[in-house]
Amino acid sequence: MNALFLAFAYLRHNWARALILVVAGALILSVPVVARMLIGATQDSLTARAKATPLILGARGSQLDLAMGALYFTDDRAEPVTMQAAEDVWDSGLAVPIPLLTAFRTGEAPIVGTSLDYVEFRGLEIAQGRMFAVLGEAVLGAGIAAQLGLGPGDTVISSPENLFDLDGVYPLELRITGVLAPSGTPDDDAVLTDIKTTWVIAGIGHGHDDVVTPDADGNVTADAALVQFNRITPDNIDSFHFHGDPDDYPVSAVLLDPHDDRSALILRGRYLDPDSPTRIVRPDAVIGELVERIFRIRSLLDAVMVIVGASALAAMGLALFLAWRLRAPEMQTAFRIGAGRLAIARLAAAEIALLLVAMLALAAGIVLVVTSRGDGLVAWLLALGR
Amino acid sequence: MITRLLAAFLILLAPLARAQDRPVVATVNYPLAYFTERLAGDAVEVLFPVPDGVDPAFWRPGIADIATIQQADLIVLNGAGYAAWTTRASLPRSRLVDTSRGLQDRLIETETVTHSHGADGAHSHAAVASHVWLDPALAMVQADAVAGGLVRAGLLAEDSAGAALDPLKADLAALDEAGRAAFAPHAGQVILASHPRYHYLARAHGVEVSALDWGAGEMPDDDQWRALSALVSDTGATLFLWEAAPPPDAAARLAELGLTGVVYPSLGWAPETGDFLSAQHDALAAIAAAGG
Amino acid sequence: MIRLTDLRFAYPGGGFALNVPDLAIARGERLAFHGPSGSGKTTLLHLLAGLMPPDAGRIEIDGTDIAALPDRARRAYRAARIGFVFQNFALLDHLSARENILYPCRIGAGLRLTRAVRARAQALAEACGIADKLDRKPASLSGGEQQRVALCRALVTGPGLVLADEATGNLDPATRDLILDLLFDRVREAGATLITVTHDHAILPRFDRAVDFADLTGAAP
Repeated sequence: MNALFLAFAYLRHNWARALILVVAGALILSVPVVARMLIGATQDSLTARAKATPLILGARGSQLDLAMGALYFTDDRAEPVTMQAAEDVWDSGLAVPIPLLTAFRTGEAPIVGTSLDYVEFRGLEIAQGRMFAVLGEAVLGAGIAAQLGLGPGDTVISSPENLFDLDGVYPLELRITGVLAPSGTPDDDAVLTDIKTTWVIAGIGHGHDDVVTPDADGNVTADAALVQFNRITPDNIDSFHFHGDPDDYPVSAVLLDPHDDRSALILRGRYLDPDSPTRIVRPDAVIGELVERIFRIRSLLDAVMVIVGASALAAMGLALFLAWRLRAPEMQTAFRIGAGRLAIARLAAAEIALLLVAMLALAAGIVLVVTSRGDGLVAWLLALGR
Repeated sequence: MITRLLAAFLILLAPLARAQDRPVVATVNYPLAYFTERLAGDAVEVLFPVPDGVDPAFWRPGIADIATIQQADLIVLNGAGYAAWTTRASLPRSRLVDTSRGLQDRLIETETVTHSHGADGAHSHAAVASHVWLDPALAMVQADAVAGGLVRAGLLAEDSAGAALDPLKADLAALDEAGRAAFAPHAGQVILASHPRYHYLARAHGVEVSALDWGAGEMPDDDQWRALSALVSDTGATLFLWEAAPPPDAAARLAELGLTGVVYPSLGWAPETGDFLSAQHDALAAIAAAGG
Repeated sequence: MIRLTDLRFAYPGGGFALNVPDLAIARGERLAFHGPSGSGKTTLLHLLAGLMPPDAGRIEIDGTDIAALPDRARRAYRAARIGFVFQNFALLDHLSARENILYPCRIGAGLRLTRAVRARAQALAEACGIADKLDRKPASLSGGEQQRVALCRALVTGPGLVLADEATGNLDPATRDLILDLLFDRVREAGATLITVTHDHAILPRFDRAVDFADLTGAAP
């Protein structure tokens, strides 16, 4: 007790030194744990979303790009395919195709154009407001809503640049009608809208003042250089229309929800032809491969952690030793007063024990905080790849 | 006593509860609502939210209407450009049936709008006639699509769908037969119509239609009468289809031009009397009675 | 009664040797050693405290030859029976004045911090006039106050022998006299023997006996 009392008094007196030691020690202890945990949770998150997505249909090319783009809306998305791909699956009656167009963004957040089926497929719930109902409406993921401080009634504007190099792209104001409940997935950080709205952003659909006059043959020709609307309102929504064959409209990827295993197998068989411009990937397998890679990185990370941790501990031991050496006169006094070696050792042990307890407590606190925000951090980590 | 009253109350409530529990099928016009009712009977609740007096082809639902329709277990669309709001609303693709998707090569184009947007170059909008159900053969394809949609959505067993589809198709075939017979005296001739709704009816029965655009149930003005008169002398038409019952004065004036007027409801909304079949049979009977 | 007989000590490596043929100090006596630096005064003090064993000879204190005691017993003896006052006070910065006074009882071999010890510490502090400063850290005390704390610490265990190494060397004359008064009074109250080492000839007359180290050892450095 006396040793603990004296050690505590010493540490309290030299609190700054003790604090640095405790923080450094806690970091040495917690960083490997936190890193392992985040990698584990990232793996789980990656795998969970991949497992929840049976098949993805998209352009032939990098399977990983296709899967990452369709699952996490990352920048490395595959070449777009056409809506025909989704319609073919629809006509096959083997799966529900859910088209995704992820080429646009507003600020940092991806705009995900899709159908209401996506919301059902992912089990997303509206926490505030309502689902998008007409062109120009969008709902926000919980994360991006909190980050931007936006809610129903606010607006966001699509960024003018896009990754398709499509002509006619212009910023479109999206009206926010609702905010989704947090799901701990990349959907939290996305702006969800109808795929038709993203086709408007792509310039395939547009609205303008109706200035048409029929000619002698009954054909009507609109004046050139019409002013297009960059905001869809109840007043102008009726002027919005789409050009060309809907089957030719672009989609980044099509999520497939097969009716059963047999349907999935048949569908996969149909897209095996290497000459076909489209292919089906199993996200489970693709992401599984990625996760294996992460596993390999993890063992490397473990080795690095051990080396760095050992060096840091050695440095800390040295710091403690030097600090102890500085106290030689004090120990000399204790010795003259009648303290035995054991008493002095107990004093040192008590100090180290107190420091260790504080380090462990702080490390546990760090781990707890990270654990409680694990989902958000993992989502953030995954979002870094965008 | 109280228990018995409560039990009686609950028994009375039961059908109400069942009605609420029934799956909902939303439709965009009367023919599709009729087909759905014929096929599924009481198994589903047919939702046709267009208010009275509004042409479903041009109806613009409010957000609340769209939200209700989004919740439906099946949403039956006419396609062919009918109810343009469906192209601007967000509807769940997995629960949509486009009943004219199988008819793309049989649609009739009406007019083309060309316009340009600055450097984009010019582009065209092809418009198509949308009242496909007035051709019984196309109506059969639509009925097939409705049945397929009901089965796929799990609202109807495949065999019960088949069992209900056969008599419906037989009825439509009979209607086709009756149509052919009624229009036979006018084969190759031009008939006139108060509204541009009858492209498919005319094509189905081998006649040509030239349409005006008169206000339904209104007395046309003098200009409109003059235009009609010119049309009669150009085409030699003798048959005139009213979309809705005309004012008596108008019927009399039409007769003065040597035209036989027959009310042929376009059926976008429910007829005042009868149903999809009987309303058309009545009209065909009147056409047959008018003769050549 | 303290008796040193044929006491010899040399630091390893040579260069300095201590040789005390015979010295007797009565119980309660106040003795001052003086002499030039490096003559071995502090070394003798350390031998008396049992901090190190002599090379030869005896150090009898009340009949016990502490030179012959094993290490552990010598430590316990030192903790219980000897009080130390240092020239530089040797207080611990991180402890309050009170805790500095109680320190020997917390760390000394075989000692316990009892209620009686606390009461004694309080009484000593009051006697030394620092009762109102017991909660302060040494850094906030003056040199005289610090030495009073050190004095209390040396006496808190109730030692029979108080060893003072230049205890007033760092103090101005007024403070020095005050501290000496306190030291003499407390030692007398405790019935303890006081042995001090000093360069300060001005204070020698106040002691019962002043011993010139050159006379004592007869050895030139």
